[in-house]
Amino acid sequence: MYINEISLKQYRNYNQLTLPVENEINVILGENAQGKTNFMEAIHVLAFAKSHRTSKDKELIQWDQDFARISAEVTKKNGPASLQMILSEKGKKAKVNGLEQKKLSQYIGSCNVVMFAPEDLSLVKGGPNLRRRFLDMEIGQISSVYLHDLGIYQKILKQRNQLLKDIFPSATKEQDMMLQVLTDQLVQTASKVIGRRFSFLKMLRNWAQDIHWQISRQMEKLDIEYSSSAEVEEGMDEKAIAASLHRAFEKASDREIRRGISLVGPHRDELIIKINGREAQTYGSQGQQRTAALSLKLAEIELIHDNIGEYPILLLDDVLSELDHFRQSHLLHAIQGKVQTFVTTTSIDGIEHETLKKASTFHAGSGLLTPAE
Amino acid sequence: MQYPQPISKLIEGFMKLPGIGPKTAGRLAFFVLDMKEDDVLDFAKALVHAKRDLTYCSNCHFITDTDPCRICEDKQRDQSIICVVQDSKDVIAMEKMREYSGQYHVLHGAISPMDGIGPEDIKVPELIKRLQNDEVKEVIIATNPTIEGEATAMYISRLVKPSGMRVTRIAHGLPVGGDLEYADEVTLSKAIEGRREL
Repeated sequence: MYINEISLKQYRNYNQLTLPVENEINVILGENAQGKTNFMEAIHVLAFAKSHRTSKDKELIQWDQDFARISAEVTKKNGPASLQMILSEKGKKAKVNGLEQKKLSQYIGSCNVVMFAPEDLSLVKGGPNLRRRFLDMEIGQISSVYLHDLGIYQKILKQRNQLLKDIFPSATKEQDMMLQVLTDQLVQTASKVIGRRFSFLKMLRNWAQDIHWQISRQMEKLDIEYSSSAEVEEGMDEKAIAASLHRAFEKASDREIRRGISLVGPHRDELIIKINGREAQTYGSQGQQRTAALSLKLAEIELIHDNIGEYPILLLDDVLSELDHFRQSHLLHAIQGKVQTFVTTTSIDGIEHETLKKASTFHAGSGLLTPAE
Repeated sequence: MQYPQPISKLIEGFMKLPGIGPKTAGRLAFFVLDMKEDDVLDFAKALVHAKRDLTYCSNCHFITDTDPCRICEDKQRDQSIICVVQDSKDVIAMEKMREYSGQYHVLHGAISPMDGIGPEDIKVPELIKRLQNDEVKEVIIATNPTIEGEATAMYISRLVKPSGMRVTRIAHGLPVGGDLEYADEVTLSKAIEGRREL
């Protein structure tokens, strides 16, 4: 997939921007606070209907304005399309070829984007919520049914947590039965979510291991494991997962009532990333953790290609200069000739010259992006 | 400037209705001022009568002006099936179909711990009481296919099933007359889940 032109209206510091994009690699140069990340964020919002930096859509709309619009002319494998996302106080609207999409969960996936931002470098080092978010966002791109199930899961979870709080310190007969009902309901959706995560993980692992092996100069074997609050294993079918979840809920029931929250389920699960058999989060060096994060992101690009038949757009926000030359060139080599990439950086000093030769460069400043000479 | 009290009271009254905010309420209130007095009186009477003369059927809890309601009274109808719905409006939707001739039971809501609604707060105990009657052979649960509606359905089925009574749930999936290609992925996946043997 390629973006041919992107326009922003009243989006953060961009009042009005129309940017034709002709090249595969596009470097956006600029000082701090000139709107480099805002531009990347806009593409992210167009793809996921939400920002990677904030959950408040209002912040995305220019000060004193009541709406913001992001539009892009893209070329997909089955031809050109125009995508549009309109943000206003009333909510979000997504349009494909001028037609409004009824549900955002249906729209997501129309524009596939992989973003690699500084915070992603801590994917391996940081907390479990980062890795869960990674899982959910990436699966969501290739499966709208997953997004739907996840949404339902979260709603049931809220209901169940409220009930657990009501029950404390002890349940009436009705509450007890209601808890069983909500547990059943939760397990039903949870087993779908976990099942989908398993099949995603299997694909991701295949790609990530290969890529990591290369980037680490054949020194490191990467492994990804699913760590769950229930005794589930990859390869189990939904029925088996459901049975394990039920057992785990039974075990946890006293603790759940005491603490007033659900202690089992996909919202507690996470990924364990191992390098040469050791947990990278605890034992890996900074460099290893970053390399592993990079491998996962590159794997994602291949995985999206496998699943939907075309490459996503890659956004590298301020990370290229964070990688050493070997990793940089590996990254750029991996995407060459197939993935349209936007790169932001404050200076081109840290970036390999070979790459820059083939790239278009833009300067960011005062709410505009201007092509560099 | 502040409105004179009679009109601000009227605006407040309109604002208590669902879907009506301050602007619409203001427009409606000023419209009422321009209406003929007879029309206003008729309207006011209709409001009061609807509230006073309509009650809920003591048997099925559907809105009615006679108790028991006309559906419960009708001896032609099948006494062995009860269709459980969330709202009185759902009964009207079902009746439009003209295919169902059993009894109804209106729950007046769905179980939702977040909103503080438990099974005792809707007409579940009343339903269980009605089911003591030996004549009833089947309960069709037609609550909405939302999370709360689904939870309510599962709750009722758990209560009723042990007695050996037949408990069924209405199907959901593709709309009739629709093309498969226009259905969204989620609806389609539900339809696949709920497939049946031919």
